[in-house]
Amino acid sequence: MKKMLRFILFMSILGIILLILELLLIQAPNMNVIESLLDTNFEIIEEKNDTIDVIFLGDSLVYSSISPMEIWNEYGYTSFDCAEAAQIIPNAYKYLEFAIKTQHPKIVVMEANVIFRDPNKRDLKYDISYFAKKIAPIRQYHDYWKKYIDFGSKENWVNVNKGFRYIVDIKPSKNKKYMKKTKKYNDIPKENISYLDDIIKLCNENDIKLVLVSLPTQVAWKYKKHNTTDKIAKENNLDFIDFNLLDLGIDWEKETKDSGEHLNLYGAKKVSSYLGKYLKDTKMLIDHREDSKYDDWHKAYKEYSKE
Amino acid sequence: MSYFDPIYIFFAVPILLIIYNLVPKKVRPILLLLFSFGLFIFISKWLTLFLILSIVSIYFIGIFLDKLNKKRDLLIQDNPDNKKEIKEKYKKYKKLVLILGILINVSFLFFFKYLNFFATNTNLLLNLFKINYQLKVAKYIAPIGISFYTLEALSYILDVYNEKIEADKNIIRVSLYLSFFPQIMEGPIARYSDTASDLYAGNKVTYNNFCSGYQRILYGFFKKLLIADRLNFLVSTVFDNYASYSGATAALSVIGYTIMLYMEFSGTMDIVIGTGEFFGIKIPENFRQPFFAKNISEFWTRWHISLGLWFKDYIFYPVSLSKSMKKLTLKARNLMGNRFGPLVSGAIALFAVWFLNGLWHGAGYTFLFYGMYQFILILLGNIFEPTINNICKKIKINRQNKIYRVFQSIKMTFFVFIGELFFRATSVKAGFGMLKKIFTNFHLISTFKSGEFLKIGLDGKDYVVIFIALIVVFIISLLKEKNHNIREEINQKNICIKWIIYYLLILSIIIFGAYGFGYLPVDPIYADF
Amino acid sequence: MERLIEILEELQPDVDFRTTENLIDGRYLDSLTILSLVAEIEEEFGVEIPTVEIIPSNFNSAKSIWALIKRLEE
Repeated sequence: MKKMLRFILFMSILGIILLILELLLIQAPNMNVIESLLDTNFEIIEEKNDTIDVIFLGDSLVYSSISPMEIWNEYGYTSFDCAEAAQIIPNAYKYLEFAIKTQHPKIVVMEANVIFRDPNKRDLKYDISYFAKKIAPIRQYHDYWKKYIDFGSKENWVNVNKGFRYIVDIKPSKNKKYMKKTKKYNDIPKENISYLDDIIKLCNENDIKLVLVSLPTQVAWKYKKHNTTDKIAKENNLDFIDFNLLDLGIDWEKETKDSGEHLNLYGAKKVSSYLGKYLKDTKMLIDHREDSKYDDWHKAYKEYSKE
Repeated sequence: MSYFDPIYIFFAVPILLIIYNLVPKKVRPILLLLFSFGLFIFISKWLTLFLILSIVSIYFIGIFLDKLNKKRDLLIQDNPDNKKEIKEKYKKYKKLVLILGILINVSFLFFFKYLNFFATNTNLLLNLFKINYQLKVAKYIAPIGISFYTLEALSYILDVYNEKIEADKNIIRVSLYLSFFPQIMEGPIARYSDTASDLYAGNKVTYNNFCSGYQRILYGFFKKLLIADRLNFLVSTVFDNYASYSGATAALSVIGYTIMLYMEFSGTMDIVIGTGEFFGIKIPENFRQPFFAKNISEFWTRWHISLGLWFKDYIFYPVSLSKSMKKLTLKARNLMGNRFGPLVSGAIALFAVWFLNGLWHGAGYTFLFYGMYQFILILLGNIFEPTINNICKKIKINRQNKIYRVFQSIKMTFFVFIGELFFRATSVKAGFGMLKKIFTNFHLISTFKSGEFLKIGLDGKDYVVIFIALIVVFIISLLKEKNHNIREEINQKNICIKWIIYYLLILSIIIFGAYGFGYLPVDPIYADF
Repeated sequence: MERLIEILEELQPDVDFRTTENLIDGRYLDSLTILSLVAEIEEEFGVEIPTVEIIPSNFNSAKSIWALIKRLEE
């Protein structure tokens, strides 16, 4: 019993020390408070302030279908995949909120699958780590001790893939036909509607054009989802591009890495090229390829094309 | 999945400890087995079947061998005159059974790890001779830790064969020996006599075991998170693209890789052994301050000890002391004298050991090259030992002198760096390319001025953290080398000092650890072997 | 016993084999030296040392090596 008490005392003192340290770290100079409890790495923070034109929000479909480097090479627009596996809409909101602290994108493209994903149904591991982060947020920003000491900063390190996952594996799909037409609608979890409204509001407040897309997948997208998304887009006066109904000429025998669920690099090139053209047609963006401020992007493309 | 996953070590394991203490003593080994299999299935899914096949095979082979031993002894008792004949006859039987057991287990290993390499090379040969036939090349994902548990399985049947141990009639104990959860990913390759009885004892987890287990585990976290994971980005960036960097940066990454490998592997062993301590199970040590060794041969008795011992006991001595080798030794001694004569059979056995050791790490030419490199270094060391001894005597250098010892260790470490360079290199050719760059294109000052050291994922503060953490590890190692039992000494201190040490350890891991935002998670290195 | 010490001293001149009790654990005899030692012993004393007997506890001191030889002679 005495040992039990001793253990509890040890842990309590540890807790108090951690709390004090957290307070100290949060006050670190130039701290971007990361209040959110996401599992993602927020890669976008590595980008120079105010250099990103377009943000892509969404789940694994985004980071396997949209390659910002392809868009850069073809049109000179800067974009970033702010995506995480099985993203839920509250996290999409938080990621966007985080991204616009350092960036002022003109267009945000959101992948529509996140609207349908139930935010309460994530696996146990996610719940546990969520809980761990909630009781010990220091895990998220322990590295901010560096901000108190000023020497030997990292030389500019360029993120090459800009959130895209470069995968050239091929695993063909046998499925020829999908997207069977229907008039049914897909249900949306109730709270997702209010999150969607929040995202629309956030975009409006920041003069951002919000676009909804569905990205090519034979598994995760259904015609019912198209109907629902189409309805939402019309109600809110948003553009909606359904890549699953467009004929991009995607070869499901060669351009998917996992039998039709996600595209690989070859499929992603087609999607990125189409999206680039769409972005051009909005006439809201400038080609930065001649601008020396964006030299890093040329450097990154050089690395990217080497891969 | 990694043992460093906080959910595993600070959540799943403590829950296991509580349940373990609540259930009756007899159920505890079964609980450990269930948890071990649960973890195995979680990582390797249906491939767990191969683990089960290995367990079942060695269990029955063991019992079979034991029966043959008993029958032989009975027969000898009845006919003491035919002792030799009976012995010979049964030795043959036993050998057949043993070979069957070895074949079963080695074939699984071969299928998962070497078939691919074998097929690729056969195809190259077929091409060379213009034979129009190609073997199918397919890479299969192997069950986790197959290289480790297969060696354990072989040691068990070999020990029964050699009558070092008796075969176990309890299949739960045999299963636990092969699958005990802390050991499945990176070993150590324990012997049956090391762990089996402790595993089955079902001793209660005491408060002292709990504290001392976590003490060791936290030290492992310190090494892994402060040092190894911090170096990860540097190592992979430079090794995968060494041509873009200067020789100084390449040298830094080579040193970094050796340090990283040591910190990651020995840190994992701290977790493994610490987890064993909870249950009062003494898992054998796998490292003993390797960088204090005076030559490569000694290095290998201090680094990955359990693997070295395995090769020594089951390959080196059996090969070098086999009948035909003994004959060879006799001949060689007549020709070359007593000093070098035995080296001939020794060299052949050593070659076998290092060829297999290289292959064990993976099917690839870099690993084979690495094995041959160690073989040549050890052999040369042995051949020149008398010469060096004579030279030292002539120029009056005392080889027990401290300065000479430090010089020896530094020289040894240098050779280790080069070995690990090839171990990690993307190909043997790339390894030589890197080596050439280091020796012909070093450019330390210009590299420093160009800021290249800060372009490879580490900032100045990271270098400082690594440096300080290395000093801490160095001091602890030095004390251990001087036979201090540091853990015991800390436990003897009064509670205030003890707690301050623990708090410093925990906080340094939480704050200065290389994890989370801005760091890539690092896969365990040795689990791939 | 004297003959054994002589053999040992021939192999490793710098070690005091009468008092040292950790020949293996202290790395005074490495595995290649053990091979020479085994060959010498087998020739000198007419015994055969099986591989299972090559364990540290049998080779850690001159005394234990001697005991092993005596045991094998029986």
